[in-house]
Amino acid sequence: MIHIKNLHKSFGDLEVVKGVDLHVREREVVCIIGPSGSGKSTVLRCINRLEEITSGSIVVDNHDLYDPTTDINDIRTEAGMVFQQFNLFPHLSVLDNICLGPLKVRKLTRKEAELLGRQLLAKVGLAEKADVYPDQLSGGQKQRVAIARALALQPKVILFDEPTSALDPELVGEVLEVMKKLAQEGMTMVVVTHEMGFAQEVADRVIFFDQGVIKEEGVPRELFANPKEPRLRDFLGKVIAHG
Amino acid sequence: MSFQFETKVMGETLPLLMSGVKLTVIITLSGLLIGFVLGAGFGLLKLSPRLWLKRLAGIYVETVRGTPLIVQVMFLYFGLPMATGLRIPPLAAGIIAIAINSGAYIAEIVRGAVQSIDRGQMEAGRSIGLTKGQTMLYVIWPQAFKRMIPPLGNQFIISLKDTSLLTVIGVAELTRGGQEIIAVNFRAFEVWLTVGLTYLVMTMSIAWALKHVEERLSGAAGR
Ligand SMILES: Nc1ncnc2c1ncn2[C@@H]1O[C@H](COP(=O)(O)OP(=O)(O)OP(=O)(O)O)[C@@H](O)[C@H]1O
Ligand SMILES: [Mg+2]
Repeated sequence: MIHIKNLHKSFGDLEVVKGVDLHVREREVVCIIGPSGSGKSTVLRCINRLEEITSGSIVVDNHDLYDPTTDINDIRTEAGMVFQQFNLFPHLSVLDNICLGPLKVRKLTRKEAELLGRQLLAKVGLAEKADVYPDQLSGGQKQRVAIARALALQPKVILFDEPTSALDPELVGEVLEVMKKLAQEGMTMVVVTHEMGFAQEVADRVIFFDQGVIKEEGVPRELFANPKEPRLRDFLGKVIAHG
Repeated sequence: MSFQFETKVMGETLPLLMSGVKLTVIITLSGLLIGFVLGAGFGLLKLSPRLWLKRLAGIYVETVRGTPLIVQVMFLYFGLPMATGLRIPPLAAGIIAIAINSGAYIAEIVRGAVQSIDRGQMEAGRSIGLTKGQTMLYVIWPQAFKRMIPPLGNQFIISLKDTSLLTVIGVAELTRGGQEIIAVNFRAFEVWLTVGLTYLVMTMSIAWALKHVEERLSGAAGR
């Protein structure tokens, strides 16, 4: 589904991603963990081409992102994105937030789009919130709407960038529940997260990022039980101490 | 010298000013309408990633903001025809001057408002497959426009008052109307007082309308 080869990304003189190879299979859930500033978000944003890569290659669903014949807007609809800060559209109702993509990109009729929107809202447990505006929602509800909005484009993969980091602790669970459900339905997911419990339970594979490279990866049980890299041991120690 | 204030003169003056009021309103509205189109265009150019477009918009804005309106008006009406042989009628010249002048200030208003919208909004729009243009149109602009309303209202008031300068090229707007009445009755005190109060009624009406629009918008918080 996603094939990243020797990805490098610099901001000016600062090299943030220093040669990453990452392959995500269809229906796979990959969790990326790692310390702040290690380049996790940058890699996700490169997959969605919110950042231009410096060198290397990224292939999403057999489309080479940097092949000039690739329509980048197609890729963006194949890879949905869920942001830490939700980034809902505050001037649109919840339903319109979800319908905008289907209407303008997929060219559905208003009726089709609203039907789809209501189905997705029901799926994330917010059917009754269709007509309210984002500022009337709690953080957890906002993020569930954001997930529905991403799903509305029927993407092949969804990229999550710390989807629960901006939430009050008591609201984290409801968002993780929705994500778990998606994973069970076979959605391909790449999730940057600090929720080790979620990674342990849902991920097929966990990837530890450090200083712009993948330091270690493996199935969650092994990786958490026997971390080989001292940096990972360190990191897990800190996360567990704080969590 | 025996000055005698006569309210009767004010009463007589007011109806005579009405054609000037009408012209002032017409010039302000049409000038601002064109000015808004110019301002939106150049304001967005200022945000363009293309350096030369950004520069072009910068030159327009700086030139207009850096020179007095009266010089702009004179240049347009007396200066340009000498070089081009093309005479513009006073009213058209007045509208163009107000449009070009307000356009530069509105460009800054537009740029500021668009820039104030969170970067995440563009990213979210792009992430659901909208193009940059679509994201601007459906996501950024509606939010930015709400933030433009107070400064645009302010510009409305400024431009309305600026039209009084057009008297120098003979446009029969409100100020000119006052001058013409004084030329006949010599009652400068009553006439300028009436003219001033007429401007005040217009600007205060705009301010009042603006306040109501803002209240309605803040009632719909964040939208
Ligand atoms: N647009 C940018 N311009 C310059 N530097 C950037 C930019 N975006 C990110 N960086 C830098 O790149 C590095 C990696 O950032 P990134 O956001 O990918 O880290 P992260 O692993 O997601 O960290 P966090 O856990 O804090 O989100 C950081 O040092 C950051 O300051
Ligand atoms: Mg990050």
